[in-house]
Amino acid sequence: MRTRPAIIGAGRTRFGEHYEKEPEKLIEEAWLKASKEANVERKDLEACYLSDYFLPITNKLGLEEGFLSELTELHVPMEVTRSFSSALSIACNAIIAGKQDVVLVGGIEKMTDRWDKIRDDLMLLEDPWSFYAGCTPEANHELMLRAYIKKYGLRGQDIEKLNEALAQVSVKNHLHAMKNEYAQYRRNVTLRNVLDARKEAGKPLGLLDFAPVSDGAATLILASEKVAEKLTDKPVSVLGFSSATDFLTFPAREDLTHFIVTQMAIKNALKMAEVSLRDLQLVELYDQSTVMEMVSLEDMGFCEPGTAWRSIHKSCEHYKGYYEVDGKKLFVNMNGGLKADGNPLGATGGAEIFEVFKQLRQEAGERQINSNEDLNLGCVLELEGFGTKGYVYVFGSEKS
Amino acid sequence: MSSEPIERRVSYLGDRLRGTRCSICGKEYFEIRDYCGNCGRKSFGKMTSTDLFYEKGELDVCTLVSEPTNKFTKLGSYVYGIVSFHNGKIRVPGRLTDRMIKHDEKIDPSTLEGRTVVPRFRRRYSVEKCDIIPTISLAFTFADEYYPHQDYKTVEPKKEYDVPGIVGYGFYSSRFRIKEENIERAIPFIDEDSITAAVEAGKLALIHSGIDSANVGKVYVGSESNPYAVKPIASKVAQVLKLGEESEDDVQGVDAIDTEFACKAATSVFKDAASLVNYPRSNIKNAMVIGTDNSQAAPRDCPGGELDLFVGYGAAAYVFGKNDLIAEIEGWYSCTSDTPDFWRRDGEPHPMHGGRYTGDPAYFKHVRKATVKLMQRLGLQVEDVDYFVAHQPNAQFPVRIAKELGFKEEQYMPSLQVVRFGNTYSGASPVGLAAVLDVAKPDSRVLVVSYGSGAGSDAYSLVTTSQILDKRPNQQLTVHYQADNPFLNYVDYTTYRRLKLGM
Repeated sequence: MRTRPAIIGAGRTRFGEHYEKEPEKLIEEAWLKASKEANVERKDLEACYLSDYFLPITNKLGLEEGFLSELTELHVPMEVTRSFSSALSIACNAIIAGKQDVVLVGGIEKMTDRWDKIRDDLMLLEDPWSFYAGCTPEANHELMLRAYIKKYGLRGQDIEKLNEALAQVSVKNHLHAMKNEYAQYRRNVTLRNVLDARKEAGKPLGLLDFAPVSDGAATLILASEKVAEKLTDKPVSVLGFSSATDFLTFPAREDLTHFIVTQMAIKNALKMAEVSLRDLQLVELYDQSTVMEMVSLEDMGFCEPGTAWRSIHKSCEHYKGYYEVDGKKLFVNMNGGLKADGNPLGATGGAEIFEVFKQLRQEAGERQINSNEDLNLGCVLELEGFGTKGYVYVFGSEKS
Repeated sequence: MSSEPIERRVSYLGDRLRGTRCSICGKEYFEIRDYCGNCGRKSFGKMTSTDLFYEKGELDVCTLVSEPTNKFTKLGSYVYGIVSFHNGKIRVPGRLTDRMIKHDEKIDPSTLEGRTVVPRFRRRYSVEKCDIIPTISLAFTFADEYYPHQDYKTVEPKKEYDVPGIVGYGFYSSRFRIKEENIERAIPFIDEDSITAAVEAGKLALIHSGIDSANVGKVYVGSESNPYAVKPIASKVAQVLKLGEESEDDVQGVDAIDTEFACKAATSVFKDAASLVNYPRSNIKNAMVIGTDNSQAAPRDCPGGELDLFVGYGAAAYVFGKNDLIAEIEGWYSCTSDTPDFWRRDGEPHPMHGGRYTGDPAYFKHVRKATVKLMQRLGLQVEDVDYFVAHQPNAQFPVRIAKELGFKEEQYMPSLQVVRFGNTYSGASPVGLAAVLDVAKPDSRVLVVSYGSGAGSDAYSLVTTSQILDKRPNQQLTVHYQADNPFLNYVDYTTYRRLKLGM
């Protein structure tokens, strides 16, 4: 049987504005934490896989591998990708292929250094034709919501309920972030706050429906099964992973209400992990907006298409720390999600995985979810662009 | 941000909304594809080029953008959405234009979704003053508002004439107006300029004339408000309207040139266009002449600011040829003198105006001379002329010269459009002519006399044919339709100055 890569240590910085620090300093902070936890020296690293979405644009840093080499004083193979999940998938493949046994996977983004132009950059990279036509990073989410409402024929009270459910997503994620010392926004928001922000904007989604612009870094040390056994008694294994790709131009896609990349990636990741969806209790979704969290619940298969808002609404009326889906508990975005934890693109997936890693090791502190007895699986969804790429990982804390 | 090659490629696709259709399965794409995803390799060589330029779409979903990206901030708030064509076979992103949204205005998407929209050729977004001006046709307006959707149908020519003349024409002005006392003036929307107006007028002229755009062998664009000091408007018109023979290498087989002579830049070359199509070895069936201006004027309290009371916005395009004429050209006379009554130095944003010179020694002297000479040459009396069209910088000058020459109200009034659109500079006498051709019966004689500061006049005598009636149904966007449109949008002085400045 092939080896299963395992995470043996993870580290991250606080997400938010770090105007006093160079990108190198952020990745260093995260790396040192992960190394300490995994008890590995820099010399043990056989390769580094780094991700950043657009450091060359935001910080005019071209050869990112070079600065990582300078930082770690290593001359091992290094590669740079756009998202943390993408970097991790290369790392996993290398370990599965038997090429390397201990590697560093890191993600970094420094978006606030380019505050004034960041929305133009994001939009242009995400979908050039839509950018040329006047789209903004927020507009696509709103169009998806419009298309959703129309597709499922929602009207009157149902629309009100849906809007409320989306606001509840934001409230819930902020609530979770209260217990996350690394989160960008450790403060409560109320349903009223979210609704007022929409009212102020005169739009279906307001400031509190969207993930912020962030700086931050996250890293993990990934090892082969054999090495992991030696270094830790609590490895978290990568049981399955998959990705899928969709058109850059959002309007040209067949379905404007869902992300096909999520649907395909979860299916294949579960297959590889030999796990059924019903076994998953803990999932970190990619909530760039509250709409994205709702739609992702459906795309992952937890809810039937067109119904996630009902489950959210019902669960959040008296929120108990989880969504109730099909009579089962589903813990979603325990770190506060992108909304409240922050969204430094290249590092975001790292924070999602960090959360699952901590939860599965029962090291999540205040935000450790209750059902510890049977918690041994966790799942992460990360997207690139507006659903142009989708990555799903299934992690497990016990050998199966 | 953008480089010239990127700009060229984006414009090439985006201005015309070029697409591809698989001739095997019918699948359609926005942008150019060499093969179809459904049919795979067997579709190589079987993909046909299409475009959405003359099509109508449907607004599927939309939302309000009130915090645009930096490049769009000058637009303020706008509606952005997804537009589908051919029953959803192609979907493209699109911005609704020609709409000013107030700061706290509520937009209910459901009142807009499902409505028919027409692609419009506009500036894409703001750039630095030294940059290439980006354009795109992913801007849309509702077909049931100011600008209706019109099919472009080409027809085989039925009749050849002995002399050259006008085959068709188009006039375009925006839906925005400022009204002060007795004069109403057209203003570009913030994403419009003399380039976009030229393309619009040319498009309408093709629709009206019914000729194949491939038959246009030369296009002249006369303007004094080209946003570029160096770079022709005519090349943009030629590419967007696919004028001349098309070839594989994206280069149109057409000659394109910009002309400049204050307000007579376009009328001056009517004779060149007519001569060209009349010369048997030119191999050119049709030539197009466009007069376009986003007429410039300094603000009212600055030197030259008196022009600010009169300047307008619009363009008129004329297609010349020898087949299916709506008017034959009977003759012409032009005159020129070096009279500095109005000028704009290179690098200056606004023209200057020599107050002493502008009336008698300039406008009246040249218009009078050109008219009298042409009438003498053709042996015409005042009563032989059905319509007299004079250059119209304001409402007084054309009336005064018409009266002086002995013309009656019914002869000169139909052409007087300056009180509806303002002085459209290079487009001014061509707009007057368009207003007359909109209503003239067959066998009417039209005398059109332009004036360009600097100075000179061109006088033409045209005689309408019976085919003028056949082609009239082709054009809904007549001068009158645009002058008395229920969807006109009136703005105040500050807004007018802002819109005029553009993105």
